[in-house]
Amino acid sequence: MPALRPPRRAGFFMRIAKLLAGAVLAQAGQLHAADVQAGKVKAQACIACHGEQGVSSMQNTPSLAGQPDGFIQWQLVYFRGKTRKDDIMGPIAAALTNADIRDLGAYFSSLSPPPPLTDADPDTPRFARGAKLAQANRCSTCHGETYAGQQAVARIAHQREDYLLKALRDFHQGKRTGGGIAAMPDAVYRLSDEDLQALAHYLARFQ
Amino acid sequence: MKLQSLMRPWAASLAVAALSLGFGGLPSAAQAQDLKHYDSTKPDFWKHPPPDWFLGDETAQQKGLSPKAGPATGMTEEEINAALKNIKLPKGFHISLYASGVLSARQMAWGDKGTLFVGAFGVGNVYAIVDNGGKKEVKTILTGMKMPTGLAFRDGALYVADIDRILKYENAEANLDKMPAPKVVYDDMPPYVAHGWKYLTFDKHGWLYVAFGPPFNIGLPPSGTSQIRRIDPDTGLSEVVALGVRNSVGGDVDPRSGKYWFTENARDWMSDDIPSDKLNVISRLGEHFGYPYCHQGNLPDPKYAMGHKCSEFTPPVLNLGAHVAPLGMKFYTGKQFPAKYKNNIFIAEHGSWNRHQYQGANITRVVVDTKGKRAKASVFASGWIKGKEDFTGRPADLIVAADGSMLVADDWAGAIYRISYGK
Ligand code: HEC
Ligand code: HEC
Repeated sequence: MPALRPPRRAGFFMRIAKLLAGAVLAQAGQLHAADVQAGKVKAQACIACHGEQGVSSMQNTPSLAGQPDGFIQWQLVYFRGKTRKDDIMGPIAAALTNADIRDLGAYFSSLSPPPPLTDADPDTPRFARGAKLAQANRCSTCHGETYAGQQAVARIAHQREDYLLKALRDFHQGKRTGGGIAAMPDAVYRLSDEDLQALAHYLARFQ
Repeated sequence: MKLQSLMRPWAASLAVAALSLGFGGLPSAAQAQDLKHYDSTKPDFWKHPPPDWFLGDETAQQKGLSPKAGPATGMTEEEINAALKNIKLPKGFHISLYASGVLSARQMAWGDKGTLFVGAFGVGNVYAIVDNGGKKEVKTILTGMKMPTGLAFRDGALYVADIDRILKYENAEANLDKMPAPKVVYDDMPPYVAHGWKYLTFDKHGWLYVAFGPPFNIGLPPSGTSQIRRIDPDTGLSEVVALGVRNSVGGDVDPRSGKYWFTENARDWMSDDIPSDKLNVISRLGEHFGYPYCHQGNLPDPKYAMGHKCSEFTPPVLNLGAHVAPLGMKFYTGKQFPAKYKNNIFIAEHGSWNRHQYQGANITRVVVDTKGKRAKASVFASGWIKGKEDFTGRPADLIVAADGSMLVADDWAGAIYRISYGK
């Protein structure tokens, strides 16, 4: 019977970490025969709502600038397959081909993400509560230490606060389920609405 | 002393090297947290699993590994054709692209009139691939489902397993452009998404073999899971035919004996090299295959053995290797391959995520007698692993075509391949 292996030395992990970092970079370069320029042209159909440079100034409408390519693509695939249901995005995504989706993902992910929200009169206790909740619920495991997202996981740092809250509420109420094994509804199900508000407040301002 | 506190010094030394990939991604460098610990023994865990439920009690060695999200729109034809150039097959065999744009492709089933139906994982679609004068046309015939991975076809009807319901679509092939409203033929099924995706196999009596995975990596499974049932979709009757099964998403009825054989994915988070994934056969009604007490026929679980010995359980026919992820399997019943391949088992191995050097991601051939004796495994098709931890494709299911060639579903590339011999 094979025995359980003892944990190995730190040097081992350093080696793996370096290898992994290399693999991740290689992967980012490999993606698809996607075309940023073609994406920019196709994005003319999107900017009325999502903003000129992918930074939205429309209520309850997310900024797309700086979202991970994979996240944008997956969400468009979900809208198209009605796994994610939305009256506005459903019909828009239904008309997109796989090539369109690759180009749009490449374009919006290439834009600079919006800056953090700043207040003249910061609500420090609320910010602190959001920070604590984010840590206690291990949001960064998937969204990354800076909440910039990665692969199929959304950038949530500096997203519009109203949209963050809407998204969290949608997950909480089961209106949005997420695809595959990404279980956002379970990530937020124990949280109160006040918690969700604090998280949205914190993430929009995260520095 | 609790495992967690024992591990703490290790976790700290891991700060720089934390490999936290989240849902398949970048290391989050400063994750200097304790090793993760999950209490999967409580119903609340099953009903609302943590979003990272697929993790287990981490070991320092395995910390940070996580499933990889594939490309959302699959691979382009050029990318696929380039990848297929690197696939190694025995002499005389060829692999080619059959259809692309089949996003998240999982189980396949043939309609009577030659339509290839394909289920899907992350995307809630079911596809039908039809031949239009030599060109394969991929139609998305169902959308908005939860996770319609498993499907089967019989007497003109398409059956789809969508986590907690088996749906029947009558006269499916004549209605590909507008599928009829389905009839729910069986719904005595737990709602858990975690390991809730299914694979459907008809036996010759028209009953469906269906495995029910536990809603976690390891734990005492809620009743109604960790088992294989045989279900009659005409009457809704069912019987439990096997217990102690973890995550099984592949199986086939032996054309020689009528017995049900199935692949099984073993638990994660022990190490890169144990426990092994398995190939099993059910010889007796209600047999217990060991989960969660015993793995790979000889390895008591460190936490859940609970006094049981491995000798109490049915051992596997074959240990296929750790983290190779055997999914769809079929007996080869065609006439195109050389005679020695007749009734061999072909297994689509999906490949690793809970391992530092990926393995599997191939098609494995098993030669074995009807009793499960003298089993010999060899790699039939390989070359889908890129570097240490990446893929150029992931075989998820297999099916024999009318002409004796074999089709392979790949949910990473979103494609179907055809493996042929000679011609
Ligand atoms: C008429 C306004 C409108 C137009 C035009 C529009 N969108 Fe949207 N989009 C929305 C709204 C509103 C949402 C948020 C849906 C929700 O609440 O879940 C959204 C969501 C999205 C999301 C999900 C992002 C996230 O953070 O969850 C993506 C990706 C997206 N849109 C891409 C596009 C692309 C690409 C186009 C152009 C082809 C486009 N949209 C055109 C209004 C629009
Ligand atoms: C197991 C990984 C995981 C964890 C943990 C996790 N998330 Fe997510 N989250 C995702 C994924 C993946 C998405 C993409 C949406 C989808 O497919 O469901 C997402 C989407 C979101 C969105 C919607 C973004 C958008 O633009 O539509 C918000 C907001 C969010 N997460 C916030 C959080 C917060 C707050 C936490 C901690 C309480 C958290 N997430 C924990 C994986 C995770």
